[in-house]
Amino acid sequence: MRTEAIAAVAVASSPQARRRRFSPYILTVAFAPLIYAIWWLATSTRFVSPILLPAPQAVWNSFPRVVFADGFGEQVLRTLSEIVGGFLLGATIGFALGMLLSSSSRLRAAYLPALSALEAIPTVILAPIIIAWVGFGVEGKIMQAALACFYAVFITTLSGLGLAEPNAVNLMRSLGASKWQTMTKLRIPTALPVIFGGLQLGATTAIIGAIVSEFIGSTGGLGYLMIRYRGSFDTAAYWVIIFFFLAIGLATYLLIWYIEKKVVFWRRTDITRPDLEKQ
Amino acid sequence: MTMTTQTSPLVQATGVTKRFGSGDKEMVALSGLNLEVREGEFLSLLGPSGCGKSTALNIMGGLLKATEGTVTFGGETITGPSRQIGMMFQQAVMFPWRTTLDNVLLPVEIFGESKKQYKAKAEELLNMVGISEFAGSYPWQLSGGMQQRAALCRVLLHDPKLLLLDEPFGALDEFTRETMNQELLRLQAYAGSTAVLVTHNIAEAVFMSDRIAVMSARPGRLVGIIEVPFDRPRRPALQTTNDFVKLVAEARQMLELQ
Amino acid sequence: MTITKPMHRLRPTRGRRPSAEKMDSGPVWISIATIAVVLLLWEFIPQTGLINRVLFPTFTETLAGFVQLVTSGYWWDDLGKTMIAVAIAWTIGVTFGFTMGVVLGTSPFIRTAITPYAIAVQALPKVVLAPLLIGWLGFGSESKIALAVIICFFPVWIDTMVGLALPAANEFKLMQSLKATRWQIFVKLQLPSAIPMIMVGVKHSLLLAFTGVLVAEILAASDGGLGKLAKEFASQLNMPLTYSVVGIVVILAVTLVSIADVVERRVVFWSEESRTRRRS
Repeated sequence: MRTEAIAAVAVASSPQARRRRFSPYILTVAFAPLIYAIWWLATSTRFVSPILLPAPQAVWNSFPRVVFADGFGEQVLRTLSEIVGGFLLGATIGFALGMLLSSSSRLRAAYLPALSALEAIPTVILAPIIIAWVGFGVEGKIMQAALACFYAVFITTLSGLGLAEPNAVNLMRSLGASKWQTMTKLRIPTALPVIFGGLQLGATTAIIGAIVSEFIGSTGGLGYLMIRYRGSFDTAAYWVIIFFFLAIGLATYLLIWYIEKKVVFWRRTDITRPDLEKQ
Repeated sequence: MTMTTQTSPLVQATGVTKRFGSGDKEMVALSGLNLEVREGEFLSLLGPSGCGKSTALNIMGGLLKATEGTVTFGGETITGPSRQIGMMFQQAVMFPWRTTLDNVLLPVEIFGESKKQYKAKAEELLNMVGISEFAGSYPWQLSGGMQQRAALCRVLLHDPKLLLLDEPFGALDEFTRETMNQELLRLQAYAGSTAVLVTHNIAEAVFMSDRIAVMSARPGRLVGIIEVPFDRPRRPALQTTNDFVKLVAEARQMLELQ
Repeated sequence: MTITKPMHRLRPTRGRRPSAEKMDSGPVWISIATIAVVLLLWEFIPQTGLINRVLFPTFTETLAGFVQLVTSGYWWDDLGKTMIAVAIAWTIGVTFGFTMGVVLGTSPFIRTAITPYAIAVQALPKVVLAPLLIGWLGFGSESKIALAVIICFFPVWIDTMVGLALPAANEFKLMQSLKATRWQIFVKLQLPSAIPMIMVGVKHSLLLAFTGVLVAEILAASDGGLGKLAKEFASQLNMPLTYSVVGIVVILAVTLVSIADVVERRVVFWSEESRTRRRS
């Protein structure tokens, strides 16, 4: 959601940017070597402790060692399946509950206050309970990830389904449309851009849920590997896995962004960011 | 005019009152409205904002229930929306995920009838309003006026007996609005349907209508009916004639007398 | 009232809330009935032996645990450690995020240029740094605070940046027509327009700071805290006390967010008001 907001601003400011003689993305490219230089300088002067951040070359050199280590693929797959499983579970429950509550103002009045308190709860505090319940296996990680991403999808579904213009609702009513027809032909399509925002946010939190859960206690997965590498003070290998998580995060973001672009092809910026076009 | 006075009323509103809220916050939107809409006529509900004209329209369309009084349509009391009644709103209400043609075909889809059967008619209507080449385009690729043309096609697709128009061109600029009004009259005549238009524009009401129901605000009520005797089809030049200007002045006086 | 805030956070403005005009007593009864049913099930299902009673103690057992925990008083220390860490981390995070937002957000050119990096920072789950920070800073409050700051500065940064870009072209033109200086444009136009957005980020970052501190505590905080307490009780399989600690965290979080909501409404009174006006 936040990143979309950034992207929206980037789009909004582009007319000004376009008038300039060179594109701002030249600056973007220029930043990369700068970041690398700062990293290199900070580590070679020992300004940053090597326990925290090793030199860039060390991380680079550790890539093959980490990636070709025995069973690395399995650990990646395990973490990925925890993330995907948790995300699907949490998003499905969130979507279903959002649909249910949006269909009845009574249910909403009765349950929304309690459900919206969920927003405040740091789901990580449930990790010890989940481990006590189901142990260190994959199920616990899936539960944790699902818990982490449920709320974003639930609340965006609920608020998105309420977004249909009164006139559009009146049109459907004047045609004698059933509740279900109004839901499928009007409310869900109207809600999709907002729901995708929730999915994007939910995916990020699902990844966090899975990692934290692996850190706290697990028998496998990338988080488990990280804890092991840290235990042996192999910070360079640890950073290799950080880059893996960066890749997972970016790939997830791009994937959802791409699907959204295909599904919500009609989307204009005003659907999610009406405040950008205020006059 | 002589033709319309002979027929029995298509819509009959008797003592229609609508209150919103309750207790201290109660607001009387419409008070004791008695009105008939004759078959085939073009009737305007004219009045300032807050006079309950949209409320009256929504009650006729079955979207709102009257607190008191009854409205009949073709002799039967209106209890909910009917397929015989088509409504247009201030915005075109085009779904951005549907092509123009699919938007026009929406009613058929909701009625559960075959889209194929109506496709030719939808295309014919789009052709009549001159946007047939945009049938496959999405609404956001159309101008506001084109979108309202498509909305006009949508409402006429299933041949409703009664058109309820809630300032359908209110959001358009003055020039487009005038063209659209012409278009509306042409298509209404072609479809042979009865129309009720809600507007706060006096000249528009006089130009479009056979009769004008003038309403006042707080509480919303009917203050009088003006018969408009001009022949159809009506040309834009009508608006500069003395008779036209006189009727506009009469309506204005009726509005300000309250 | 708080229910509208999360929607607002996830999808700013234009939200039509579920209307509250028709208040009947039905929902209240649904709520009460649901709570009663849940409590009854919680009380009686563990007694049937269908599920593990150690993991799922009855409601009264849990309540007894809660009373025991609250009256014993030894958890005050943990509570204090957690809350102080949250407060410090939040303050640092908000300050840092706001500064970054202002530095990088006032120029559209720089804003556009760093957007890809902002997306990358967003996409990286920042908790991956937790074990490293603990290894580096030790088990004390420094590692908690460091992790919480890294996690919580981000929304403030982005929301400040987005907020500063909110004023429309005409508003900028008005300021320019008055020959306003850059500083005046910033103080009189951009900053006030950005405040509602920034408040959303500040609120969000409070929750993230809480999460960050809890993660660090659960992972390894020999120096104490609610997270560590929950983990310890859970590892002893003392579930009544575990649930009690979780309950306390939930109460704290909800209270913090409610306070933040009240503060937000006071600070950005105009935003709410103008939204209502636009809707009618």
